[in-house]
Amino acid sequence: MINTPIQPKIDPANPFVGRHSRNQTLESFVRWVLRCGTLVIVSVTAAIVLHIAVKGAPVALSREWPFVNVAFLTELPSTLHVIQDNQGHIIETDVNGADAIKMELGANLREEKTISYSGGGILGPIVGTAMLVIVSVGVALFLGVASAIYLSEYASHGTFIEMVRLAILNLAGVPSVVFGLFGLGAFVLTAPVFTNSPLDRAIFTLPLGFTTLSFQGWDTCVLSGGFTLAFVILPVIITASEQCLQAVPLEFRETSMALGATRWQTIWRAVLPFATPGILTSSILGIARAAGETAPIMFTAALAFKDKLPWQKDQISLPADASLFAHWEQNIQRFLAIFTESVQALPYHIYTLAARIPQNEYSERAQYGSVFVFLILVASLAATSIWMRRSLRAKYKW
Amino acid sequence: MEERLAPLERQSLGCMLLKKKKLNALGFDTQKFIRFFFASNASVTIIVLVLIMLMLLREGAGFLKTYKYELETYRHAGLEFCDIVDRPLAQHQQLTSRLRRALGASLDTISQHARNRRDAYLNMKRQIEEESSLQREALSVALEQTPSAGDKIIEPLRTQLAIAGVKSAMSLTVRSFFSLDEADKIRAELSQLSPETKDIPAFLKQLNDHFSTSDKAAKKSFATLVKATEIFEEAPETLQEILIEIKEHVLQTKTAANEFNTLKSGRLKLLEAAENTQNPVEKADLLKEAAATQAMPVDFHQRIKLVTSRADELAEKVHQYITAIQKAAANLPTRGSPAHAIALLDEVHHELPLHVQEMQTAADEIKTWSPDKPVSFLTVIGAFFFGSNWITNSSWQDSFGFVPLLTGSLIISLIAIVIATPISLMAAIYSNQFASEREKELIKPVIEFIQAIPSIVLGFIGISVLGDLIKDVSEVTWLQWIPGFPIQERLNMFNAGCLLALMAIPTMFSLSEDALNNVPEAYVDASDALGATKLQTVFRVIVPSAFSGMAAAVLLGIGRVIGETMVVLLVAGNRIAIPDFSSGAGVVFQPAHTLTGIIAQELGEVSRGSTHWQALFMVGIVLFCISLIINWCARTFVRRFEQFKA
Repeated sequence: MINTPIQPKIDPANPFVGRHSRNQTLESFVRWVLRCGTLVIVSVTAAIVLHIAVKGAPVALSREWPFVNVAFLTELPSTLHVIQDNQGHIIETDVNGADAIKMELGANLREEKTISYSGGGILGPIVGTAMLVIVSVGVALFLGVASAIYLSEYASHGTFIEMVRLAILNLAGVPSVVFGLFGLGAFVLTAPVFTNSPLDRAIFTLPLGFTTLSFQGWDTCVLSGGFTLAFVILPVIITASEQCLQAVPLEFRETSMALGATRWQTIWRAVLPFATPGILTSSILGIARAAGETAPIMFTAALAFKDKLPWQKDQISLPADASLFAHWEQNIQRFLAIFTESVQALPYHIYTLAARIPQNEYSERAQYGSVFVFLILVASLAATSIWMRRSLRAKYKW
Repeated sequence: MEERLAPLERQSLGCMLLKKKKLNALGFDTQKFIRFFFASNASVTIIVLVLIMLMLLREGAGFLKTYKYELETYRHAGLEFCDIVDRPLAQHQQLTSRLRRALGASLDTISQHARNRRDAYLNMKRQIEEESSLQREALSVALEQTPSAGDKIIEPLRTQLAIAGVKSAMSLTVRSFFSLDEADKIRAELSQLSPETKDIPAFLKQLNDHFSTSDKAAKKSFATLVKATEIFEEAPETLQEILIEIKEHVLQTKTAANEFNTLKSGRLKLLEAAENTQNPVEKADLLKEAAATQAMPVDFHQRIKLVTSRADELAEKVHQYITAIQKAAANLPTRGSPAHAIALLDEVHHELPLHVQEMQTAADEIKTWSPDKPVSFLTVIGAFFFGSNWITNSSWQDSFGFVPLLTGSLIISLIAIVIATPISLMAAIYSNQFASEREKELIKPVIEFIQAIPSIVLGFIGISVLGDLIKDVSEVTWLQWIPGFPIQERLNMFNAGCLLALMAIPTMFSLSEDALNNVPEAYVDASDALGATKLQTVFRVIVPSAFSGMAAAVLLGIGRVIGETMVVLLVAGNRIAIPDFSSGAGVVFQPAHTLTGIIAQELGEVSRGSTHWQALFMVGIVLFCISLIINWCARTFVRRFEQFKA
């Protein structure tokens, strides 16, 4: 032996540890670089959430029981009046309060500023978003689960299936503002309604005798917005539901078929019961998505400002001798009318607050408050979905 | 054998006999009906995709026709004639502004000090007035209301104001170009400000005088530059006078033509209604109404003759203008001014020949211009896809060219992709190959959470936090080497790009992580067996075989970014112009408008069926096509590489 082996440096604390080779150093360096990239994502997200929480929590929460700012969550948005008197005191109030204070101050009034939409609370937008979500998720779940059943249980290879899959893929990539244009063209301006006096703009009318089916559109309303949103989230729901159906083992179907059940009985009794929890879980993500979209509802459902909730409406009182049927009819019509009104929606409200009014220290309260509440709503939906999926995974193991 | 088969046959026969006929009215059996129900639901996706196309085409396809009509009117009425001269003339303003800046910089060498002192004084005065505004207003109100009596009321107000004045004057920070003595003087003067004294404070007067004398001196010493600038500025005046006259005339033609057109379409509608109605009285009424709207069509030929007859005169004026500016430019001094002023003057010298040449061709063009040249559909398509102006609600001529919007969208997407791609690929490789279980449990929910953050919230963050953050960072002195710093606009493409990067990360991350997951275990085993280290396995085996999936992930990320609306609408700054690329990479700090943003912003405000409305739907069609193309690319990418691998 001419070459004497290089003596490795021995760590006195742990004599068994090997020497770090160059490769190992390189590996740990690369590992750290990659880790830093990941950390950037996590820390930026944390910073955003923290900023919103720090600025928004004081508006939406309160120190005393019940720990939320009830007024902010249960009042409709209104114009904020900021009144300053000659001594430099500043009072923030709403329209009615402003009149009273101005009367009281009299000549002592120095100036009054009005900031649109920034006063009151955000009940209107919350209710509007909830209604849009209910309509859209209802429609999307029906269509989505049915499509997923077809794709997973019935379909064999063929052109039709290829086309459906291609359509789902492309639908998922269509920009949300294009969905807005589609909703405007299809639901606001062309969808069919029953009416006795069709409008000129209807592209097609079908007289039915007692009434006319007129393709004149639903106008901007919850229904239009909800249907538009439904098609935005449809690809998500179909893909997730199909995955859930595929996860049910094939043996379940084979067993059911072997016992003589029909296709439909198999699906209804042996597949769906095990897939439903998963489908519902993933539909929660769909809800979060539907609640967060702004562009599709801008032209189809949303209003910048409305001083009433959808069901607060003047109604004609029926004559005293009106039949039970008339009462029924009126109740049903009132219920339907809720969905044929345009509403405020949280994301659009935030857009209005952030982009449509001049920014100053008084508008910040409403902005951060709405953003905070909105983020909490959406984040809790997403968290529920993630948590439920985990517990489901633990529960159903085949 | 035969005996064995026999019972089978009998059983099937029995089945046939006993089987209930499950046929419904339409001839379907129930199972088929259920199948058909699900299939029709599945076909909804295809129907919706087709409907999207149809709706976009129905509302947008008319654009070519209406825009063609608009362009025809633009030509027939003679607006084009004016623009031939007017367009290149716009360059004059830029040249003038350069000259003015050069002049200002030159004058500053002498008078800057005096001006700064005066401005600083005025600033401090304003500040003090603001701070004691409560007391000041109270006093002036009291003075106005009780002019004769009321010393008792006024006196305490006076003392209050004096106290407030002294207080804020003491806390005043005086800029360094005042000496200590002067600072004391300023404080004393400013603390005595009161609405009762009308005359200007003595020191301010002194500063004013000083400034005006030094300004005069400066103008004297740069007399040639001042003179040349003036001549240059006044050069196009006579030309513009004529141009304005012609413009008024052609605008009248255009308005008359448009009015006639609305009347005509209204009349046609009335006539149609009259034809459809059965009631003779109503019919007569409608016909009468239609007759009332009868109007004379505009005689384009007669009116355009007035315009074309002045072409020679206009060309003559253009030539005069050219000689005037050339003369002025020749008189511009080349030395004696500070360096950046000289640089500006050099720029003017450099750009002048081009401007002169453009004006020359314009002068030739108006002589040969004819209003009867037909407008082809190709011209219209070109005007939309390659037009560099998006002007709406203009009193002159609307134009719908979507290049500025496309550039905005592309630059923003590029920024977002450049930021998001490395980060999300790094995160995907890390969490797939290196991360411990605990880290994975942190990373994945965070990424899912980012996906759930609504875009409007990110847009709001851009407006309220990120904009100011970027602006503050851009003012840090040791970062000035970065092109574009310090930035002017808080809301710009870079800001939007950063936020969109965050939005693209979840898509890119999860898709590329899937791709990494799908690499067969055998590859890794083989690599390990050959003695490769972890790094070699990851970067030579796993990443290359997942490459197609990762590329598709990046492409779909681009799709997500281009289609995003709310963030760009809130944050990108919404300036409809092609960004100025002269500042190199600093272009990213300029505001822009985007394809998605323009739809969201303008669609709510236009009337249905107008050219503007149709133009916005055309933009929608383009967006839709872009998303289809990106999807298609991503699919082919994955397929091709999978074939290659196999």
